[in-house]
Amino acid sequence: MLEPVRIQTEDFSQDEEVTALLGSSKRMGGIGTFLGCARDFSEGREVSEISFDAYGSMALSEMNILRNEAIAKFGLLDARIVHRIGTVKGGDNIVFIAAGAEHRAPALDACRWMIDELKERVPIWKKEITPQGDSWVVPHP
Amino acid sequence: MIKVLFFGPVAERIGSSTLQIEYRPGLRLQDLRDDLSKQYPQAFDIVCFMAVNGAHSRDLSQELADNSEVAFMAKFSGG
Repeated sequence: MLEPVRIQTEDFSQDEEVTALLGSSKRMGGIGTFLGCARDFSEGREVSEISFDAYGSMALSEMNILRNEAIAKFGLLDARIVHRIGTVKGGDNIVFIAAGAEHRAPALDACRWMIDELKERVPIWKKEITPQGDSWVVPHP
Repeated sequence: MIKVLFFGPVAERIGSSTLQIEYRPGLRLQDLRDDLSKQYPQAFDIVCFMAVNGAHSRDLSQELADNSEVAFMAKFSGG
């Protein structure tokens, strides 16, 4: 069984994550998911690849804290967060978040909250590699 | 010794991802930040967050223990 919070270079399967989430409780009536993927165009430039740097141990710890806080704050039955590092190409998966609750509202609210908080708290940085050169991404609101 | 870590854009501006700094009793996070920002002003222009031993720290008066791991980090852009 895959851990519910992971940082990994390899791709992930949304189906496997949702199946694992569903397997944690038969009281689950709603699952909210967010999939972040790599764009091949940004700030007016073609993007060939995106590479990630991370403070791995702290990022994993912060993601676990985030999951625990989301479960407590929204009364979730379970939640999962997976983030890729290394190098990805346009269209590739980057991050997957799933929140499972008895009803849809907390599942959807928690999912939105987790991705917003992840961007604020988790020490991961992305660099866009373009034909014109490389640049670290300035965070978007 | 204090192990100082840099990542992403900060590491690029410093030209290294790790520095070893001599420990001295009473050394505070503020002292370390002041010393390093004098040596690497361009890198510290973009430092927004600090961590001590893998946890966020906003307390510049925090005293550092010998063998601490400190990170000075730019705004995150994961997700």
